[in-house]
Amino acid sequence: MVEVLLFGAAADRAGTRRVQLEIEESATLQEVWPLLAERHPGLSPMRDTLAFAVNGEYAKMDGHVRPGDEVAVLPPVSGG
Amino acid sequence: MFAVVEEKIDVGAMIEGASRPDCGAVCTFVGTTRVDESGENSVEYLEYEAYRPMADRKLEEIGAEIRGRWDVGYVSIVHRIGRVDPGEASVAIVVASPRRGPAFEASRYAIERIKEVMPIWKREVWSDGYVWVGSQVGTRPSG
Repeated sequence: MVEVLLFGAAADRAGTRRVQLEIEESATLQEVWPLLAERHPGLSPMRDTLAFAVNGEYAKMDGHVRPGDEVAVLPPVSGG
Repeated sequence: MFAVVEEKIDVGAMIEGASRPDCGAVCTFVGTTRVDESGENSVEYLEYEAYRPMADRKLEEIGAEIRGRWDVGYVSIVHRIGRVDPGEASVAIVVASPRRGPAFEASRYAIERIKEVMPIWKREVWSDGYVWVGSQVGTRPSG
């Protein structure tokens, strides 16, 4: 199980701020994304704009996710 | 001090806290909420949300980057979240350094880095709906 947190416009598109996904031993973000997009198709159009974090640090799509990890879906940041 | 806060930022207290005898320059950058208008509608306020504690940690990292690049005596960055009304401070950066150059440069660097890496999002809340800045996703009527 991984906990996926969604923020800003991504939370709006998904209609939720928190999703739990079942994953096997270890998967890449590239492999996790389709599971998320299937559950929340509204996210798909945003795909190219999104960044991801694993356990609170930016991660690339080949970065690994393991059961118990926290994944965050990050739309373009707009702080300041 | 590096903090993500929900209350008004006390910029005066931040500046006072930066004062030290070995620094001859204190540079302050304050980012305030700017509102736009379109037709009959206008922005009523901005609402910020953060991914914590990642956002808190990114502020600390920006502070460490500044210390690694410039000779500064003090760095403080505070970012506000939640509802921020027009004209209020959403972010404040205070840098003290022995001479003015590093204070100016480091404060500019801090705001640019915040806009690049800090996991914070704002939405403009208009009289007729809201829009997430940067994503153009929201509830405002289109057209």
